[in-house]
Amino acid sequence: MARHKIYQEEEFPSPFIQLWLIFRQSPVVMIGFGSFLFLTVLAVFSPLLTPYSPVESHLNSLLLPPAWDDAGDISYLLGTDNLGRDMLSRLMHGTSLTFGLSFIVVIISLVIGVIIGSLSALTKGIKSSFLNHFLDVILSIPSLLLAIVIVAILGPGLDNTLWAIVMVLIPQFVHITRNAVKEELTKDYVLASRLDGAGSLRILSYSVFPNIIEKIVSQATLAQSAAILDIAALGFLGLGAPIPLPEWGAMLSNGIDLFYIAPWTVYLPGLAILFAVVATNLVGEGMRHAIRQRKES
Amino acid sequence: MLVFIIRRLNLFFFTMLLLTLLTFSLSFLFPGDPLVNLSGQINATPQQLEQLKLAYKSDQGIMQQYFAYLSHLAEGDLGLSMASQTQITSEIINLLPATIELSLIALMLAMFVGIPLGFIAAVNHRKTADNIILSVAMLGYSVPVFWLGLVAILVFSIQLGWFPSAGQLSLVYEIEHVTGIQFIDILLSDSVYKWQAFRDASAHIVLPACVVATAPATIFIRLARSSMLAVLETHYIKAARAKGLTFRQIIFRHAVRNSLLQIIRHIGLQFANLVTIAMITEVIFSWPGIGRWLIESIYQRDYTGIQSGLLVLSTFIFIVHIVTDFIYAALNPLAREHNHGTS
Repeated sequence: MARHKIYQEEEFPSPFIQLWLIFRQSPVVMIGFGSFLFLTVLAVFSPLLTPYSPVESHLNSLLLPPAWDDAGDISYLLGTDNLGRDMLSRLMHGTSLTFGLSFIVVIISLVIGVIIGSLSALTKGIKSSFLNHFLDVILSIPSLLLAIVIVAILGPGLDNTLWAIVMVLIPQFVHITRNAVKEELTKDYVLASRLDGAGSLRILSYSVFPNIIEKIVSQATLAQSAAILDIAALGFLGLGAPIPLPEWGAMLSNGIDLFYIAPWTVYLPGLAILFAVVATNLVGEGMRHAIRQRKES
Repeated sequence: MLVFIIRRLNLFFFTMLLLTLLTFSLSFLFPGDPLVNLSGQINATPQQLEQLKLAYKSDQGIMQQYFAYLSHLAEGDLGLSMASQTQITSEIINLLPATIELSLIALMLAMFVGIPLGFIAAVNHRKTADNIILSVAMLGYSVPVFWLGLVAILVFSIQLGWFPSAGQLSLVYEIEHVTGIQFIDILLSDSVYKWQAFRDASAHIVLPACVVATAPATIFIRLARSSMLAVLETHYIKAARAKGLTFRQIIFRHAVRNSLLQIIRHIGLQFANLVTIAMITEVIFSWPGIGRWLIESIYQRDYTGIQSGLLVLSTFIFIVHIVTDFIYAALNPLAREHNHGTS
């Protein structure tokens, strides 16, 4: 906190624009951001863009290798699987399942987690201590294990997986919001507005939230990469999306039996997951870097 | 130090209480009769059910039921597995050592690879080496573990044929089950083929351990890098530099030790992550550990199994957590003193 600059601050762009200006400086981060946007567009418009239906079988072209292979066919750019379904269409549809759903999951758990976290930051004493310990317990159970247990309660299926992952992600958001709000509450500007007579809720929404929103968003990118991996892992274990759905993890486990004769049915979904997670992580990394830089300047 | 120990034990007690509450409430949340879920006896006769009711006090209040459950746990009775109708405790005692072996070896591997790489990256801050190490770390952090395991099997077991693709030890070797940790058992056994068996066991563990270690190693790279960078900024490093120590002396004598401290603190936190990865890896490599058993018990709707597996795995993670806390406090006097107020 450089206090002597306080009168020059009018010349600076708003905090959010500052963040963006630092964020866009790194080309690698911008590539990641571009890929992230690309995936988002694909997730929304995949039904319009795909050449074939993801469940349509082309029985005279089973297990075609990708088009760059000698035996490949250009009308099936990334080949077909054991039932003659077009890999490209399935991967594109899978974007809206694996990537798109992870986005929704993160937003739901973000909202719930931030509400619980900020309320808990306002409590003190035994209630707060109990919550702290409870969070410690939940956070130290492996997230996938917890998700598996919740799936075992609710029964397998894509919807239940999503709820399970929402519940697993909530404690992380509670934790980070709680710490961030507590940190802000000790600062002078909060005291100033408290002296002005603002109530706790008003302080939260007008003073604290604008200052911690970036921290929460950067946690959200971390949570999203974890959510993509968890959805795919549960799909892979056969606990998530049912087999005909083109979810990337389920596609991967579907290809295992044919791994040796048709390796593309396994490595393409894997690469898709890797691509989505790398893009998400790059955006998050760029954001954290930008927040740090802005703090230093 | 005494206050520190009491605080930690208190925390451990409290977390175990919450954890057992969680597993106890699972028996009500799972479909089916809570009593059957707790005991795992699906084919019990009416007389046996009466006995179970007495043992688990299920006709009394919920607190009595919980304490009955706790006393069963204290006696080491986790109930019967619904799928195989054998004692879960004995199954877990058979399986847990394999998981401990795999996860500890992977943790070692991750630390020995990740931490030096992180230090190298920090010393070459914002140079080519740093950038390369960071990009590799980003890739390794993002790769889905089940895919990595499959690709590793395809490349190293099927195409190159260097390592076996499944299991813990070739069936040719007959090793007596003493501790359950394969390497110790082999060394204890008096077989003529001891060293061949040892080599075979090592070949079996290479691929799964590497796959499990990948993601934690990248986290260690980042932790080591940031803690080394923080240490290099401090005044005592400046003082050491002003004293005229060479770069090598500064790094090895002062910087490495102090930054290792910060990393040790995070090992416990990373361990939960590592165990998750180990569970999936066990499925892929058919490793006879508790993770694979747990996932199979989900397929078989073995609720007693799921409940006890969760309890045992989480307890294992807590114990590692607490042990690293103690190691950290033993190495760093500062950590012992700051524990009085609420943290």
